[in-house]
Amino acid sequence: MEVSSAKKEAYFTATQMQLVRTRFFGNRTAMIAGSILLFMIVCSLFADFLSPYDPTIAGRDKEYENGAPQIPMFWDKNGFSPRPFLHTLTKYRGADTNFRWVYKIDDDKRRYVYFFVKGWEYKSLDFKINLPGKKFDFQFPGFTSDRHLFGTKEGGIHLFGTDKAGKDLFSRTLSAIYISLAVGTLGVFISFVLSLIIGGISGYYGGWIDSLLQMFTDAIRTVPPIPLFMCLAAFAPQEWSSELRFFFISCLLGLISWPTLARRVRTHLLSERSQEYILAAQMSGASSAHIIGRHLLPSFTSYIIVDLVISFPYMLLSETALSFIGLGLREPVNSLGVLLQNATKADVLLNYQWYFIPVFFLVVLILSFVFVGDGLRDAADPHKNK
Amino acid sequence: MINFIQFTVTRAFLSIVTLLIVCFIVFSLMELVPGTCAERYLAFKNTQGSQISFEDIAAEEKRLGLDKPFLYRYTKWVSDIVIKQDFGDSCILRISINELLSGRFVLSLTIAITALLFSYAIAIPVGIISATTKYASLDNALKFISYLGIALPNFLVALCIMLFMTVYYGDTMTGLFSQEYENAPWSSAKVQDFLSRAWLPIFVLGWNATAFALQTVRALMLDENDKLYVMAARARGVSGMSLLWRYPAKHSLGPVINSIGFDLNRIFSALPVVALILILTEAGALLIEALARSNDQQLAGAIIFLLTATIVFVNFVTDIILAIMDPRIRKGVMGGS
Repeated sequence: MEVSSAKKEAYFTATQMQLVRTRFFGNRTAMIAGSILLFMIVCSLFADFLSPYDPTIAGRDKEYENGAPQIPMFWDKNGFSPRPFLHTLTKYRGADTNFRWVYKIDDDKRRYVYFFVKGWEYKSLDFKINLPGKKFDFQFPGFTSDRHLFGTKEGGIHLFGTDKAGKDLFSRTLSAIYISLAVGTLGVFISFVLSLIIGGISGYYGGWIDSLLQMFTDAIRTVPPIPLFMCLAAFAPQEWSSELRFFFISCLLGLISWPTLARRVRTHLLSERSQEYILAAQMSGASSAHIIGRHLLPSFTSYIIVDLVISFPYMLLSETALSFIGLGLREPVNSLGVLLQNATKADVLLNYQWYFIPVFFLVVLILSFVFVGDGLRDAADPHKNK
Repeated sequence: MINFIQFTVTRAFLSIVTLLIVCFIVFSLMELVPGTCAERYLAFKNTQGSQISFEDIAAEEKRLGLDKPFLYRYTKWVSDIVIKQDFGDSCILRISINELLSGRFVLSLTIAITALLFSYAIAIPVGIISATTKYASLDNALKFISYLGIALPNFLVALCIMLFMTVYYGDTMTGLFSQEYENAPWSSAKVQDFLSRAWLPIFVLGWNATAFALQTVRALMLDENDKLYVMAARARGVSGMSLLWRYPAKHSLGPVINSIGFDLNRIFSALPVVALILILTEAGALLIEALARSNDQQLAGAIIFLLTATIVFVNFVTDIILAIMDPRIRKGVMGGS
């Protein structure tokens, strides 16, 4: 192998983060998964702009309930059109359809799709912090807009179809991805803080504090998480608002999943604190806070990031499982778990298969998280030098 | 030998302490649920048409011992379980929990352990193949299938298979027994019937667990494969399967055994939701019933306790097995030899 000296030089002087980044970018699977993930995150952040209808009940289409997906097309039997269009539908039911509502396609009437159309009003970058006491209230008004990427002038456009109330599934999926990611992020953040504190204390001080905390951590780790989730989630009173519920569920996810990460932090600190560079820092009179902040934490930031990414899909799955059995988020809120719960009826599977489209996004989201986590773990592995 | 006994006793002691902590957490949770057992039962009776007064609630609380302090009740709950193996009565159903759970918990355990064995039977050979294969595409494909096991929610897989069976075979596959065997005593025919239905939950739970076990095996094999002792063995002319089985595979068995407890934990975790979908009459489904529908804290506490106790026990056993099997740990435990 012929490695130029400049390259060698770059390798030996690179920081840990640079090495991780280089290795990660070299991993094709992880990069593909990463781009998909990034795309989904960006889409969910701009969900309001991208979705032609309000995902809540306000945006329902009364004329098109349990409607099949409508795919815009460029040509039909009447010829080609540079602007995508849909056919007009009419609602019909009669003896020949077993008295079920069906939609008849009138393929002579075209409805054109327009871009950047005016639709329902939404707010972006809207920030509100409501702490007790007037002084602490912080509000960033953001800006309202009513432009959407696409829409039609008459009738509706439902790329993924509609559910039984006529809510647009495309809009719902986008906002569900956003909500599920938000729940996951909040959960990961809480568990991150908890594990840093508990693992940090345990690892830095060692001794009996360590034994005691480890005993507690192990005890929590032995309880099967989902039953424990369910037990805790059963606390939430029925009359709670959906926002409160959302916050509660995220907290639960964080409160239960800290032990694994805490253990890693502790093990790392234990092995790291007896290293010579720490001793050197102590000899030079550095304070504990300085050592933790400047030497110990940076020594394993990359591992922590990896662990956080790896724990993300499990947060999403736990949320889904909880919402699925009816203990997690509930209907007015859109989350992937809620959408999944709607899809699990025999009637749906036989007649309205498009309810399963959000499931596909859930699976893709989790898979890409897992692959990115995998790639990051490989990249952060110091024993692998390439 | 003395050292070994000492090790076992320490481990047993630690397990018991863990269990006590878990008991305490579970019991506190049960306490924190708004409303007591007495209120709940009487509220339930209220819906049946009888009038309930505050005196009734107070009397019922006294009867159940709910007026006693928290610590007293905790001690009583634990000592009843340990000494009399008695979990008390269910809040709503008013039957002894022992009776309610006796058959069902065994069923849950059977399903979970079979799923565990199934997952290891697949994960270990496939993990070794995935780690040692020359073909990157095979490795990637195996990896993808195992990750799919993580990414697909269990209940979704269960539901899809179930509906598929309903549409194409006309049998719903729900429940653990067909109707004629539901209440029949155990016989070979019933076992056969059980197996013909239980494969579905076992498969669903097993696939999920396989993914994790496979990752463990694969990572370990990859780690061990590059180590010097393997290279030395290769230099001595050991190759192929005998090399794999004698050196890296044997080496990576330790962490796999170590992870049995947590794999079981994961299966238990997934069990209730799968059980709910497939309408299995076992403890997991009962747990959801107790938590999501009837708010029966006594029953839920008992089930979570049983699940955790099983895991603690499995962890204890695997620790002992590892101490006997792995020379490195054996040395640490027995001191020399």
